[in-house]
Amino acid sequence: MVWIVQGVGVAVLVAVAPWMWGIAQTVKARCQGRRGPAPGQLYWIIRKHWHKETTVPDRSSWVFRLAPSVSMASLVLIVITIPIAGRVPPEWPHNMLTLFFLLALERFWSGLAGLDTGGTFGGLGASRITTLGTGIEPALFAALGIAWQVSGDGAIVPLAAHLTNGSASLLPWALASVSVALVLLAEWGRLPVDNPDTHLELTMMHEATLLEYDGRFLALSEWAMALKFTALVAFAWVVLGPQFSSLWANLGLRIVEMAATAGALGWLESRLTKLRYFQLPAYFAVAAGIGMLGFYLASGGLGL
Amino acid sequence: MVTGGLFTLGLMAVVAYRWPRWSLLLNLLLSLGAVAYGGYGLWHGSPTAGPGPLELSPLRAWFLMVLGLVASLSSWYRWGYHDDQVSLRLWLPLFLLSMMTVILANNLWVFMTGWESMTITSFFLVTTHHERPDVLKSGYIYLVMSQVSAMVILAGMLVMDTHLHSVDFSVWAQRGAALPRGTKSLIFGLLGLGFGMKSGVIPFHVWLPRAHPAAPAPVSSLMSGAMIKLGIFGMLQFLLFDLGPTARLWPLLVLAVGAVSSLLGVLYALMEHDLKRLLAYHSIENIGIILLGVGVMGVGIDWHHPAWVAVGLVAALFHTLNHAIFKSQLFLAAGAVEQHTGTLDVDHLGGLLRTIPGIALGFIAGSLAISGLPPFNGFVSEWLTFRGLVGLAHGTGLLALYGLGLIMVLGLTGALAGLCFVKASGVVFLGEPRQAGPRQPLPASLTGSVLGLAAISLILGVIPQPLLHLINGIDPAYRLSTEGLLLPVRTPIIGGLLVVGVAVFAGLSRVWDVRTVPRWSCGREADASMQYTSASFTKAIRTTFAVIYRPHRHVVRLGPGAPDFPTRLLYSGGTVPVWERYLYRPVYGFLWGMSRLSTRIQRGPVRLYLAYVLGTVGLMLALLH
Repeated sequence: MVWIVQGVGVAVLVAVAPWMWGIAQTVKARCQGRRGPAPGQLYWIIRKHWHKETTVPDRSSWVFRLAPSVSMASLVLIVITIPIAGRVPPEWPHNMLTLFFLLALERFWSGLAGLDTGGTFGGLGASRITTLGTGIEPALFAALGIAWQVSGDGAIVPLAAHLTNGSASLLPWALASVSVALVLLAEWGRLPVDNPDTHLELTMMHEATLLEYDGRFLALSEWAMALKFTALVAFAWVVLGPQFSSLWANLGLRIVEMAATAGALGWLESRLTKLRYFQLPAYFAVAAGIGMLGFYLASGGLGL
Repeated sequence: MVTGGLFTLGLMAVVAYRWPRWSLLLNLLLSLGAVAYGGYGLWHGSPTAGPGPLELSPLRAWFLMVLGLVASLSSWYRWGYHDDQVSLRLWLPLFLLSMMTVILANNLWVFMTGWESMTITSFFLVTTHHERPDVLKSGYIYLVMSQVSAMVILAGMLVMDTHLHSVDFSVWAQRGAALPRGTKSLIFGLLGLGFGMKSGVIPFHVWLPRAHPAAPAPVSSLMSGAMIKLGIFGMLQFLLFDLGPTARLWPLLVLAVGAVSSLLGVLYALMEHDLKRLLAYHSIENIGIILLGVGVMGVGIDWHHPAWVAVGLVAALFHTLNHAIFKSQLFLAAGAVEQHTGTLDVDHLGGLLRTIPGIALGFIAGSLAISGLPPFNGFVSEWLTFRGLVGLAHGTGLLALYGLGLIMVLGLTGALAGLCFVKASGVVFLGEPRQAGPRQPLPASLTGSVLGLAAISLILGVIPQPLLHLINGIDPAYRLSTEGLLLPVRTPIIGGLLVVGVAVFAGLSRVWDVRTVPRWSCGREADASMQYTSASFTKAIRTTFAVIYRPHRHVVRLGPGAPDFPTRLLYSGGTVPVWERYLYRPVYGFLWGMSRLSTRIQRGPVRLYLAYVLGTVGLMLALLH
């Protein structure tokens, strides 16, 4: 039963990813007073790209051609290892550390692909996203600090059951949630860290590594970008959110949560401006600091 | 008897230094013999060493195997290496033999003899190109620091000898744990310092980024892959296995040193333009990561937490092997790049994937491994190190907070290492060549050995279980089931699904069915100078970590319209070598001043010295009576 739910969950998550991305874009447009595209627009865009001829820059190699597949494969693998309905059999790998390593793998290949174009924009994007990674990774480890308190090996388990037996543990949970939200905004490549809609060379980060892609490669990359968003929303809600006892109900809850998060993100983005690049270290320091505070409270303070 | 055979092989290799092929063949046999002997010791060896001067124990067998593995691939590599000189053929087998002596030594004198000859032989190997003044200087710095480290180790071992009344390591293993706390602390301090210097932990690292690039590539790969690991070997054997529980400060200090070394090592590596120096700084980083594992083990011993001991030991030993593999792979690839292009300055390279695709594949695989990314071996051992630290953070109080801090440092280190290797492999192998120049074709043995190491690293990343099982048996007192240890990661599933996934998506997107078009550069003609260089790639890091780097830049604008419309710009910039300037320069200055002071009584005439002798004898007679 658990296997079936997990399998359905993976399929649903991968399938609805562009739609969730679309919800965020639509809500953002509405909040800014525009009509905006329909939430399903990304499917049409991906379909259009898929049927176009695929070109590669003249100086690129197999690294450039393989990068979208590596991104997509590592993100699908991330989805597979997340217990989407809150539970997977113990012999199935479900581990936060593994998840972070897979995110790093995706980033590494995007960076390589950027440099492989042999142009300026690719190198610019590669430099920026890998630099961004040096902020994201330590902050993510701190943000999920209370998870280390619960499971000694970093397994992805819902924290709700462990934290709601005393009112004192609500504060660490709240701090961790804020911190995780801040870090994930950066990992998704959304405002205030990166703007997915920009094509100005001064501001683009992830988009710059995608600039030379078109056709099927661009379609895969866009799907992967949407999937990263969906997968990490699901991950955050599994770890920090409430759980039902029924697996199917949890799966339904995940869909609702994802749609709600996408809507909230769209609203939030219409109210934020992009931070300056060199303000980002402070942003990550704040996120990590909040996470460490939560960890400190959860570990019982400084009492030895 | 086996050791006798190995030594005979080694000495034959030395004698055969005039015949390159024979020398290499004997070298290869010696290395393979070391692997076989180490493997035998791990599978069938007795848990305790016997009474002889050279004995095998499981821990020693592990390090012997690591050494043999690196040495065999580097012997194969030397088959086609352009710089395989007479001095290399003469000293390299001796270097290997002395490292084996250090590993197998079972008493103080054998150990110190091996240790010293390891230093001397490696000094001669580092100064292979002694006609270049900078090489000689690097060699001397290396020699001096190694001597200091050897003296500190000798002092620590003599303290052990004084208290245990034996120079026999098997006696130390039996009775070391019963020493009083104060003595243990003294020994820990001295030996920790000595072995730390030899493994190149910060702040005793200055010799490492000088000595490794100066040496020819096979020597760099041996020094980085095997020699600096012997410092870790010493710490494990004497400090953790022999001494047992110590003052709780020590493992915490080891963790701190490991964290500092890993973070600063990678930060310095980021600013390097010389490919081999970059790799040398990454050795410091990886020694730091290994020390984090060692520290977790030490904390486990002192806090009586067997699970931490097991995780820490497995993480440290497995990362030792993994680093030996991927670092020698990267060093050998760097040597191949040098042979191919004649330079190691990354800002002059680029686009080498077209001319040496095999080396490029090996370097990119090594970059993935050293950045700890699946499905390569670095992923497994870094994962285990993280797991050890998460174990610390799982507790309560200050120790948990310390654990979280270490996790964050290791996370930052991993991300920076990823950045650095995106830069290194991207700038060297991808894009367009930055400078045209003659390209020498490479012999198959270079590509073959680099790809061979890459294959080992991939296999260990997907199926590490058998080896982890072996490591787990090294310390029978703290045995944890390997199944339990690796259950959360399930490397075969992760690695297998990843490979299958990439293959499926690559097939779906038909990677072969593409058309080549000029790249986009805002409508202008794109040229190689528009690409990001090593310096521009790391600009943001240099600005963010300015407090560590203290970057400086100097721009001169020349021409009639300067400063607004210069026709030429001269730019120079760099970072301040903080340790050299604020730690080593003052110490060196102090020592120099002291020795100048001593010249006042060292004037040279024989009569003066006779007077000193007479005076000393008189003083002794007066005092002793």
